[in-house]
Amino acid sequence: MTADQLPISKSAVIKDVLDSPLKINLMELGFLPGKKITLQHVAPLNGPMAFRLEESTLALRKAEAALLDIQLL
Amino acid sequence: MPEQTQSPLVKPLKIAIIGNPNVGKSTIFNQLTGLSQKIGNYPGVTVDKKIGMMNYQGSTYEIIDLPGTYSLYPNSEDEIIAHRVLNQLSEVERPDYVLMVIDSLQLSRGMFLASQLIDLGLNLALVLNMSDLAEKHDLEIKGFELFKALGVPILNTDARGSKGLEQIRELIHQKNFSKKNQFLQVDDFIDTSLLQDIKEKFDLSNDYQAYQILRFGLKDKGLPLEKRQWVKNKIDSLNINLESAQLEETKLRYRRITEIIEKVLVKKEDRKESSSTIDKIILHPVFGYLLFASILLVIFQAIFAWATVPMDLIDGVFADLGTWVSTVLPEGVLTSLLAEGIIPGIGGIVIFIPQIALLFGFLAILEDTGYMSRVVFLMDRWMRPFGLHGKSIVPLVSGVACAIPGVMAARNIGNWKEKIITIMVTPLMSCSARLPVYIILIGLVVPNETVLGFINLQAVALLSLYLLGVIGVLFTAFGLKSILKTDEKSFLMVELPSYRTPRWKDVIITMYNKSKTFVTEAGKVILAISIILWVLGTYGPPEKMEEIRAERDQKIELASSEVDIEEIRAEASSDLLENSFIGIMGRAIEPAIRPLGYDWKIGIALITSFAAREVFVSTIATIYSIGGDPEDDSTIREKLNAQINPVTGDKVFNKATAFSLMVFYVFAMQCMSTLAIVYRETKGWKWPLIQTVYMTALAYVSALITYQILS
Repeated sequence: MTADQLPISKSAVIKDVLDSPLKINLMELGFLPGKKITLQHVAPLNGPMAFRLEESTLALRKAEAALLDIQLL
Repeated sequence: MPEQTQSPLVKPLKIAIIGNPNVGKSTIFNQLTGLSQKIGNYPGVTVDKKIGMMNYQGSTYEIIDLPGTYSLYPNSEDEIIAHRVLNQLSEVERPDYVLMVIDSLQLSRGMFLASQLIDLGLNLALVLNMSDLAEKHDLEIKGFELFKALGVPILNTDARGSKGLEQIRELIHQKNFSKKNQFLQVDDFIDTSLLQDIKEKFDLSNDYQAYQILRFGLKDKGLPLEKRQWVKNKIDSLNINLESAQLEETKLRYRRITEIIEKVLVKKEDRKESSSTIDKIILHPVFGYLLFASILLVIFQAIFAWATVPMDLIDGVFADLGTWVSTVLPEGVLTSLLAEGIIPGIGGIVIFIPQIALLFGFLAILEDTGYMSRVVFLMDRWMRPFGLHGKSIVPLVSGVACAIPGVMAARNIGNWKEKIITIMVTPLMSCSARLPVYIILIGLVVPNETVLGFINLQAVALLSLYLLGVIGVLFTAFGLKSILKTDEKSFLMVELPSYRTPRWKDVIITMYNKSKTFVTEAGKVILAISIILWVLGTYGPPEKMEEIRAERDQKIELASSEVDIEEIRAEASSDLLENSFIGIMGRAIEPAIRPLGYDWKIGIALITSFAAREVFVSTIATIYSIGGDPEDDSTIREKLNAQINPVTGDKVFNKATAFSLMVFYVFAMQCMSTLAIVYRETKGWKWPLIQTVYMTALAYVSALITYQILS
């Protein structure tokens, strides 16, 4: 599954970052294979999603979250 | 890297500060340089170039604040600048030393950029900022281990509490920076023999730098065209996949960083982040928006309450100054230019400072506390259907006070298309300068009555005008979304930083710098337009103008009382304006504005109020020779109500004309200051001209429809 389908307050481990022009942007922010993410907040009407990644909270749109291939924990 | 040849005695050493966004980099810059900052431009981009001087123990250092970036991969204009300066491509901006600021809580993200800087062979020192927060989070960073792994000097600070700043100054003064050879081996991700040509062409000794130029040289418009063409040919001839090399580099880099982090970072226990609990309320689907709306309300309340006092004061001072100059200096063209052209022109610039300073003060507080990225998070979904970004909300909301700070705030939007759309639509929000026009016209035609017990009709009319502006924004943004083309992909990747108390010194410095930028950058254009308008409004066909003046002087001599003289003067200035070039222009456009319900006198007011919308009121006062205090609404209202159209016998300011005028002012670009700031922010006349044309067209058509329906 991909991170846009992660239920709220659930955690997962990133398996892979899918190919896209944004791949590098995600990786330089620290979205890397093996890292743990937790979905903390979702804005209304399928708005952005806020993930906890290590010591920071990062907001992504659904389309960008869909680039993270994850394994539910 | 070429050897340093300049002596510190001749030219101050240049130190560039770089770091990820939100690491406290600007605070360090502000603390080191204070108010000695200069804001300039980098060629080819709209990014501000921030430079300040640091004086320490008798020496002077030039500090350059580079835009925040996560890597040297240039995706946005900000990152292109970091790429250009740190790759030492521009002789003028070449720093001698680089100070990188890292957030202690985001060590691995910071090390990503730091390792790239090491690979570029820069003279580097690292500052681990927010060490106090790391302690609170029970994180321990083994400084010596990190030093062993990276080989560059490392300093622990907490810039918010200004602890450690002395150490930073000392570090710079001692030139305690160092170069380390390589963090990664460049030939692990690209065949270095391919880079040989580039090193020769660009006179480089460093492989990683050569690779950076090969990979990204095309993106930097600061590079001469010939060199870019050369890079393009080189890439075409090499037939290698540079994108996969970049991915490989990223992976290798993070792998090494993870190895180092394991040795360096000690996590005492896993604990819950407190921001998350606060965010449950602040990002709540209902309360979150209510809270945002209340914060906006408070800000506007404050701006209207606090800004009007200094604005009235500025208005008064410049008016008195003008009068004083015209009485003290001998009568003549120069005096008139000074008293009626230049002084009001400068006054027209200065008057915006309270609003700009206050609005940016509030924005700085929201930004500094970490709230602003939450707003972006909440609003992004609502903005996107209109081709806007979550970050567009700040300019749009600022536009209700004044479009100028709004347009200035649009530069935070990374995507070109979203930024242009935001700049193009922000002036459609009804700003505070439209208010006097609305109030006069509503007072004329909307009865001050209450319906259903509590709804005031005048208030409903006013609210409708604001809503009309918002509808204009959404409609236009939607239209531009389908017209403008870009290859850039729109995305939102924003950090929601931990909540913190704002740093007041930073807030003050932001307010000061933004006001200064406005005065120095937009001021020239505003002053030029004011002088042109003064010339057009003062001069006319000489014979006719002389005749009016002679007649006036004759009448004054015959007049018996002061009151009569006042009246004669008022009438004469009305005649003079009618016969000036602006008057002639007003008559010339009459056929075009007649369908909107305006006569040529209103035409004159439309032209003069291009300087600023509120000038409409004072021009109308002059042209209908309303003596007395032009600020007093009731006199103007009475006089206007009495104006009868000689042809039709109806009132000039009937319901249809007044509403048509209100609608016109909702949409029209009647503000040279906005024009000037759009010119400044888009670096050219193309966008401000397009904006003026489309807003005027929109205003014209809407006013036409309004008048035709109501009359």
